[in-house]
Amino acid sequence: MKNNILCALMGGICAASGALAQDLKFPPGVDDRFDWASYDALKQIDLRGQRLTLLGPWLGPDKALVESVLAYFEAATGAEVVYSGSDSFEQQIVIDAEGGSPPDIAIFPQPGLAADLAKKGRLVPLPEGTRDWIKAHYAAGESWAAYGNYEGPEGARHQYAFPFKADVKSLVWYVPENFEDAGYDVPQTMEELKALTEQIVADGGTPWCIGLGSGGATGWPATDWVEDFMLRLNPPGDYDAWVANRLRFDDPKVIAAIEDFGWFARDDAFVAGGAGAVATTDFRDSPKGLFSAPPQCYLHRQASFIPSFFPEGVVVGQDADFFYFPAYADKDLGQPVLGAGTMFAKLTRNPAADAFLKFLESPIAHEVWMAQTGFVTPFKSVNTDLYGDETLHKMGDILLNATTFRFDGSDLMPGAIGAGAFWTGMVDYVGGKPAEAVAHQIQTTWDTLK
Amino acid sequence: MEGMAGRSARLTWAVNLAAALLVVLWVVPTLGLLVSSFRDRDQIAASGWWRAAFPATASSFVRAGTAADQVEMNGLWVIAGSVLAPGQGLQAWGTSARAPEAYAPGDVADLKAGAALTVAADGRYQLTSPTPFTEKRGLRIFVTTIAPPRATFENYARVIGAEGLGRAFLNTMTVTIPATVIPILIAAFAAYALAWMQFAGRALLLAAVVGLLVVPLQLALIPLLRLHNEIGLGKGYLGIWLAHTGFGLPLAIYLLRNYMAGLPKEIIESARVDGATEFQIFIRIILPLSFPALASFAIFQFLWVWNDLLVATVFLGNRPDQLVMTGVLRELLGSRGGDWEILAASAFISIAVPLLVFFALQKYLVRGLLAGSVKGG
Amino acid sequence: MEALILAGGTILAGVFACTAWFWGANLALDLICPARGPQAGRNILRANMVRPWLFIGPAVLFLGLYLVYPVLKSTLMSFQDASGARFVGLANYRWLAGDAKFREAILNNFLWLLVVPATATFIGLVAAQITDRIRWGKFAKSMIFMPMAISFVGAGVIWKFIYDFRAEGLAQIGLLNAFWVWLGHSPQTWLTLPFWNNFLLMAVLIWIQTGFAMVILSAALRGIPEETVEAAILDGANPWQLFFRIKVPQIWGTIAVVWTTITITVLKVFDIVFVMTNGEWGTQVLANMMYNWMFRGAPDYGRGSAIALVIMALVTPMMIWNIRAARRETG
Repeated sequence: MKNNILCALMGGICAASGALAQDLKFPPGVDDRFDWASYDALKQIDLRGQRLTLLGPWLGPDKALVESVLAYFEAATGAEVVYSGSDSFEQQIVIDAEGGSPPDIAIFPQPGLAADLAKKGRLVPLPEGTRDWIKAHYAAGESWAAYGNYEGPEGARHQYAFPFKADVKSLVWYVPENFEDAGYDVPQTMEELKALTEQIVADGGTPWCIGLGSGGATGWPATDWVEDFMLRLNPPGDYDAWVANRLRFDDPKVIAAIEDFGWFARDDAFVAGGAGAVATTDFRDSPKGLFSAPPQCYLHRQASFIPSFFPEGVVVGQDADFFYFPAYADKDLGQPVLGAGTMFAKLTRNPAADAFLKFLESPIAHEVWMAQTGFVTPFKSVNTDLYGDETLHKMGDILLNATTFRFDGSDLMPGAIGAGAFWTGMVDYVGGKPAEAVAHQIQTTWDTLK
Repeated sequence: MEGMAGRSARLTWAVNLAAALLVVLWVVPTLGLLVSSFRDRDQIAASGWWRAAFPATASSFVRAGTAADQVEMNGLWVIAGSVLAPGQGLQAWGTSARAPEAYAPGDVADLKAGAALTVAADGRYQLTSPTPFTEKRGLRIFVTTIAPPRATFENYARVIGAEGLGRAFLNTMTVTIPATVIPILIAAFAAYALAWMQFAGRALLLAAVVGLLVVPLQLALIPLLRLHNEIGLGKGYLGIWLAHTGFGLPLAIYLLRNYMAGLPKEIIESARVDGATEFQIFIRIILPLSFPALASFAIFQFLWVWNDLLVATVFLGNRPDQLVMTGVLRELLGSRGGDWEILAASAFISIAVPLLVFFALQKYLVRGLLAGSVKGG
Repeated sequence: MEALILAGGTILAGVFACTAWFWGANLALDLICPARGPQAGRNILRANMVRPWLFIGPAVLFLGLYLVYPVLKSTLMSFQDASGARFVGLANYRWLAGDAKFREAILNNFLWLLVVPATATFIGLVAAQITDRIRWGKFAKSMIFMPMAISFVGAGVIWKFIYDFRAEGLAQIGLLNAFWVWLGHSPQTWLTLPFWNNFLLMAVLIWIQTGFAMVILSAALRGIPEETVEAAILDGANPWQLFFRIKVPQIWGTIAVVWTTITITVLKVFDIVFVMTNGEWGTQVLANMMYNWMFRGAPDYGRGSAIALVIMALVTPMMIWNIRAARRETG
């Protein structure tokens, strides 16, 4: 007892009973659609008695999902994996890394923060060959690898992060039966989407539900719109230049993209509640308008996670569906896809962390999550039949077939821009400030960072 | 005398009225949260909380059965069922989202290809067609229903049933009690010295305390965590107690010193004359007399530590067995937040203990004791 | 069960260690410098010089380690670049001086400083006085105190249910808009109304801090010697005079303390702004701006620290005022 008290006083860890050994969600070897060979291969790594700590942004149901994947690593290698989630991950990881008690692996929702920590020397480069592996095995692998490739403290570039779990952002959600009732077709091009928007207004409806509210992060949904238009108006090279500020934020190309977003969001007739409501409506509440009767709106552009905020009982695939946020027919830029993903990075030299990254390279790590919910992957070697539902399958296909895949630009920009000036600028823009003024303001902030 | 009594009665009325007004103003926001904690997410989004006690009209849709449910009756193909849940009443219905109230109960709607739909007032619907149905997806029947007020305990059940809440409660207690008591002890001694002992640098120290009140917590986290890690303290209870003590001390010293400085000089001086040591004066006289101030600071420090999540995750860590209550409640909300109903319920569960502390300590907040005991203070 | 014992044990150990220091240190001092014997006089003098530091020592240690040290560290960082790798001189401060958002935050902070401490202290004082005079005072006090006990996250949700906006024609779920529509106006997006939205955010803090002011002031009010009050009543003072001329001056010191404390809370407040607007629509304040630079995206400790130092500089008048007050007491 005395020891325990001492323990609690000093470390608070001695009394820990260890992570609960979880039952494996899909018993190994039973369902032969899974790549069990890749699971069995892991068993050669013996990590019994070793402990691996992970810190990530996932909480609640998402946490249960990631833990169901981690369980396979634990079962195969014998290591004990402790995942903790934080709702203020960005703050937590900085404090822990700088304060000297980093987790072994951190799961970054944004590459920007990971790049920053790499620059400060808080991240440990991944093993040689990781970069080539990503390039070879991920669809649009070149871009994926680039998002985990940062400058180290000494200035040389290394692969610091491994992308695992993707989000598709270029999606428009709608209620198929409302389309049928009104006689609308799913638009195939941006021109058609704009025509449909006007058609709905002419029919006396309101086409869009747009909500930018997100408490401390208010404004971010608008950045996705602008990024999608950047990819639809300009070649991907311009997009990359913009994200790195080689193309200035107040360049006419960027202003055109902002104004294309404004075409939708600043017209009182196009948005439920009028343009004034866009900035204050919570992004989690805004899709609900699709499902009211009569419908407050017919269209909602949001990433793949949004069904968790649909009203209770809505079945995706039946009551709601999505289509690809289309490209302009007359631009000939292919089918660009905007997305995001989480990046796994090493913060310590724990050998179990290397083994864990090997695990992420095996199909089974992806397939276990795919077969449940909320997970798509650009990994080409997985069995896409395993996707838990038709919707995920469709998203996964968008990802695998993307001619151009680009990562959410605001996540790649410096934090003061991508998680600051860009957000606030978009709120100002929706509030009526001219696009030139907003773009100029953001560029001015960016200039002060150099 | 009579006029005076009349005036004082009027005054009593006015005071009661003013108090009532103030209380209502202060309670209404919280009441909103309390009511919302008994509603489900869709109810919260559909109507204001003050309407919770009234019957609610809601519009939604119900899917009719599919081709698999049809039966043949007198040469017609029929799908039947009910659109209402128990307790609901039907006001209107429709077959299209654009005209969800097109029909009254009992009306018949003609659909494509000779099919027809009727919905009775009791919610039973009948979908008929001269040819077999082929739909795999049931037809949407839009209904406008009226339902009696409904409260749900589901939110509370989810919060209380959260995994690890008991453990977290214990952890929170382990953090909170010492993190309340230690700063009070340390601050009480310091406050006494600052108020009643003569030494060089007293005013400067006092100024420093006021200045340190304003230090933003966020500033201190990284240097302190690094310090803890370097001296081998790591993450644990000792670390979090020390951190909370450090952060709480300025306010504690400031409040207690002010209070102690206001105690009557005579008591202390007469004790000194009687040969009591400073330690004895402090323990036997100052501490008992300072109870109201100690109690009020205890309440605030307790609240602060109780509701804290940031310091706990930094200095205690957030592994499952280290989580404090705020951490567990936070986990319930999921990665993107927005579960207002769970937030509401958890706010009321976590408020219970601090309110108990407030009630328990409220009786010490009175300084009447002292006022009577010293003449001419 | 084991966890329970463990928790109890750790609680006791923590509290015991603390008590032991004060008791033991004093005992040791009394043993080393006994107030008896041939050198009693010199011993007492010596003990009197040491004893204040025994009393105040742990506090000084804690303040130094947990607050002064980080402040010094931040001061240093405010002269460094984003990653703390090299010194940039006054660059961060120069950037602040030219930043529009910073000017907005400073102005807003002054607005907050003018409105919140005064309002919260005044309402708290009134609440303390009237709840002491009614039978259901204890209940009333608890109700006014309650917002203090609710976490900031809870408070954020509460006020979401008040300021929420729904488009015209829909059922409003925000109390303020429901009331506003009932009066016959069209619904407003309250949190984006320039200038006035600041006051809506302040309302939240006033709502929380009034309970604090009330509790402290109520204790002080009850501490006023009854004789003073009785004498005033015999002199024919009416209740207003009694309150403002007799009672308020008596507790002036405590009012100042409450005012100071709330002022400092205002300087530090960031949760409310962060949760409700994150400083957009012209509601930025210094503390939230600091937080954003320190922890958002790629953190910039240099700039964050510079803002923190501005916040700390703003408290200087408060410090001077308090030293003066303390000097007056002893002098």
